[in-house]
Amino acid sequence: MTFWYSGVLLLSTLLIAVLSFDELHERRDRPSRAYRGMEEIVEIVLWVGFPAVLLSIGGGWWLMRKALEPVATLTEAARSVTERNLNQQLPRTHNHDELDQLAEVLNAMTARLNESFTRIRDFTLHASHELKTPLTVLYGETEMELREQSLTSSEREHIISRLDELRRLARIVDGLTLLAKADAGLIPLGLAPIRFDELVRDSFADTQILAEASGLSVGLASCDQAPILGDAHRLRQLLLNLADNAVKYNFPDGSITMALQRSGPTAELTISNTGPGILPEALPRVFDRFFRGDAAHSSQVEGCGLGLSIAQWIVSMHKGTIRIDSVPTKITIVTVRLPIVETQDS
Amino acid sequence: MRVLVIEDEKKTASFIRKALQTEGYAVDVCHNGEEALATASATPYDAIVLDIMLPGRDGLSILRRWRQSDNRVPVLLVSARGDVNERVEGLDAGADDYLPKPFALVELAARVRALTRRGGDTKSTVLRVADLTLDTVSRQARRGEVQIELTAREYRLLEFLMRSAGRLCGRMMILEKVWDYDFDPGTNLVDVYIKRLREKIDAEFEPKLLHTARGTGYVLRQPA
Repeated sequence: MTFWYSGVLLLSTLLIAVLSFDELHERRDRPSRAYRGMEEIVEIVLWVGFPAVLLSIGGGWWLMRKALEPVATLTEAARSVTERNLNQQLPRTHNHDELDQLAEVLNAMTARLNESFTRIRDFTLHASHELKTPLTVLYGETEMELREQSLTSSEREHIISRLDELRRLARIVDGLTLLAKADAGLIPLGLAPIRFDELVRDSFADTQILAEASGLSVGLASCDQAPILGDAHRLRQLLLNLADNAVKYNFPDGSITMALQRSGPTAELTISNTGPGILPEALPRVFDRFFRGDAAHSSQVEGCGLGLSIAQWIVSMHKGTIRIDSVPTKITIVTVRLPIVETQDS
Repeated sequence: MRVLVIEDEKKTASFIRKALQTEGYAVDVCHNGEEALATASATPYDAIVLDIMLPGRDGLSILRRWRQSDNRVPVLLVSARGDVNERVEGLDAGADDYLPKPFALVELAARVRALTRRGGDTKSTVLRVADLTLDTVSRQARRGEVQIELTAREYRLLEFLMRSAGRLCGRMMILEKVWDYDFDPGTNLVDVYIKRLREKIDAEFEPKLLHTARGTGYVLRQPA
């Protein structure tokens, strides 16, 4: 490639050299001719200068494009590399020029990254497996302790509080296993035609019950029919997750409003709740694993820190999107969009 | 009633044995697959608790072998792998139920109970505990002469509790049967619903029927 370009450049330089030599030669041969001054200069510029300038601009532009095109392709390909497609390689020309070598080096780098990512994933997966056996033993033995008739009530309270923490630990381990497997693409979803609005109605009923204890008012502003292709188990998990957050991170006597609206090919669910909200700088991180905002830290709310990561995974597996908007100390709005899929039996 | 527990992890096997013994079962324990195959073919069991991950021969292949030789003993699979498709795979191989680790003993005991009761389940359309009745056709609940209004969810919860009357029901089992959740959502949904149900069926009546075993579950019980 480089040789080719330098060849073109050398050739044009040679051409210019030959032409100017030729011109000079001609001048020297015709010294007798009258000098026409300005006129001649204008003529030369008109007939030779302008076309030459145009040609060099055009040629230069063409050359630049030709030279940079592979760079642009490479840039575009490199830009689309994320942790999820590290096994994909950048396209190579195999003509062993500099750009091809660059692509090769980049490919080797993503391969190393891929290896590290896989190792981390495997580690999480193994760790969560290994934690399950001791957890089972601990939980079982604690439960057996609770069956002891001779316990005083304070001993009983101690054991129950320990069981609660063990249950929470088990949930974290479950969440970790789920996400590690999801990362590795090991969880196939059982997608079937279902009515999302029916799930939302169920979730609304549960939310009302959950919210009762803290005196929250819960409303369902709208619930349009929304046939989708979905995994009912996972979507229930998603809805309960979001509803639970709306109840937990709320004000006493606050409110929650759910709305399911259909607009064209999309079902849009919004769950808005009053509450301390999320600071703008924390918003981009709410879907991160184990990220808990200030509200979550300060309000003594029990959670495992994986709820929104799991919610995001469930939505993405349904080819949908989830976003969170928040005005601190006022309101938080979660928006879930899922594609409508009409089938005969829905 | 005789139950075989096949579990290689000794401590787990030990407390499963204890828990089932307190429920009144005779319990045998095996720690590996080959031993389990021999034991199960020598003794008829009413139910088997089978761990999937065993040294040597894994649980699923043991289960398939039994089903191929037409051994229909009810089997509860337990597993720490927790693969999402493992439940499906297990049920396809012929298991009657599946319980992921870590589990609560209440859940395990309730499932074993359900297995050993299979077929003998009451088909009566009117369930009765003391003076509380539930008509599963008209979906009406009464305490004595007083009619009780229930939401759809409360109805399902009450029906489940009445069908397992006298036995402790764990939260996970309730979530699975009444809400169709196969995961622990980490909310107090069950507790809140139980509280509401109690207000309806117990608050203004004597004797109290719905009891809480704190930290483990709930039981709807005829007073002694």
